[in-house]
Amino acid sequence: MDFLYSYIVLAEIYVALALSTNVLVGIVGIFSVSQAAVFGVGAYIVAAFIMSGTLPFIAALLVAAACCVLLNILLALPSLRVAGDYFVVTSFGIQLLATAVFTNWTAGTGGANGLPGIPPPDLFNHPLESTGQLTLLCTAGAVLGCVAFYLIMRAPFGRLLRAIREDESAVAAAGKNVLRAKVSAAALAGAFAGVAGGLYATFLSFIDPSSFDLDASILLLTMVVVGGARTLAGSIIGPFLLLALPQILPLLDIPTTIAAAMRQLIYGLLLILFMMFRPQGLAGERL
Amino acid sequence: MTAYLQVAGLEKRFGGLLALQDCSFTIAQGRITCLVGPNGAGKTTIFNVITGFLKPDTGHVTFRDRSLDGLTPQAVVHAGIARTFQNLRLFADLTALDNVMVGLQHQFAEEPLGAIFRPFHAARTQTSRRNEARGILAHVGLADRATERVRNLSYGEQKLLTVARVLATGAELLLLDEPASGLSAGALDNIMALLRRLQNEGKTLLVVEHNTRVVQQIADDVLFLHQGHLMAQGTPQEIIADPALAEIYFGGAI
Repeated sequence: MDFLYSYIVLAEIYVALALSTNVLVGIVGIFSVSQAAVFGVGAYIVAAFIMSGTLPFIAALLVAAACCVLLNILLALPSLRVAGDYFVVTSFGIQLLATAVFTNWTAGTGGANGLPGIPPPDLFNHPLESTGQLTLLCTAGAVLGCVAFYLIMRAPFGRLLRAIREDESAVAAAGKNVLRAKVSAAALAGAFAGVAGGLYATFLSFIDPSSFDLDASILLLTMVVVGGARTLAGSIIGPFLLLALPQILPLLDIPTTIAAAMRQLIYGLLLILFMMFRPQGLAGERL
Repeated sequence: MTAYLQVAGLEKRFGGLLALQDCSFTIAQGRITCLVGPNGAGKTTIFNVITGFLKPDTGHVTFRDRSLDGLTPQAVVHAGIARTFQNLRLFADLTALDNVMVGLQHQFAEEPLGAIFRPFHAARTQTSRRNEARGILAHVGLADRATERVRNLSYGEQKLLTVARVLATGAELLLLDEPASGLSAGALDNIMALLRRLQNEGKTLLVVEHNTRVVQQIADDVLFLHQGHLMAQGTPQEIIADPALAEIYFGGAI
């Protein structure tokens, strides 16, 4: 049963991350491959605060979200200057830089060994230790994220972001501030990723750089593509579907050493096949 | 009398190409002014400079006694001037209605916090703004196409939609870049009638137009641009009757 719970919690955390990626890449068209880096910063910040006991979980989560908002705005700034294709390269560099910091800043992140023994989250001094409680917490987080995403997409802000993806000059000619809208979207995506990071760190109680590397960023993109860009349903279906894969593979009679490589292979294959034959994903629109 | 829109001494150079040189003219309020001239005369460059998309090397633009120098495209719209593009630049994946709504100014929840924390207020205000946008669509004759995606509209409908999007901004001076080009005879009559109607409602129009028949029918004033410089100004009859201008425009074909 714990097996199922952990799958659900992990998928819910990735729903928040998929929403983050969907806002930036799907809706505004800022093609970022560094969302896992922001996710990681959120995770390390929350871990640092609650391991040292300086802040309770919710406060740590808010600080992490605020930091990730600022960080993501900074990371998205080059996209305001360089056009789409070039930004991918910039963002790729940012992701590599972040991985290098996560791996080598031993004092802060534990380096490649990671940070073990992160205490479970607490709500108003009540530690949430049972899987049921943790599942509730992550479900609440994912639902709030989905509601926020839904409200934004039906508001004028959502329409403005979609318009920006299609034609920035036309949006400026319509009297709208393109820069402010893009910064707002980056901030929003940062908040989603930061909260997801905090939930991830406390749920797993152990984090290391491998969860926040380029593979993770690409997994997020794959989730958005497979689920479907620009829709709420897509950001929910993608994570639940792709995270089911590592749960199913061990059931087949494959040696564990091959299973990990197999997973990457299947993710890559899915990404290629969807881009070629169904770019709108299962429940979305063309990226 | 001070001019409604005044363009004074504009110069714009793109590398070795002098797109505008000492370009000056004024346009009067409430009139339809057509900007004509051969390809490369600088018509679109003038639009880009007035609307803040390009900074001129020298020269000034003044609107209602207010300098527009250095304003962003966004600020120019707020000053009361909005433009269309020759290549339309509609949001192809959005519906006709959404295209118009992007043009509406001062919308609540056009940023994330209002959208998330005051969803009911956002929904209520959107309902009234949506009706406003429907009214604008009806005004240009696209009432029954509101929920259609732009990519499914005909070229003529798309041209009308660019006018609707400009109207949504509430601007009083409309800069239309070739609103009639590429249209069938029926669609042409349609858009000319629309431009006349907008004039009667108090809008001022500056229109880039190639079709001399359209110019004759809608223009109150004509500005003739040649090599980035204002060559002549007058009524359509005066401009068309001038053999020197026809020589430039048609290369001596007539």
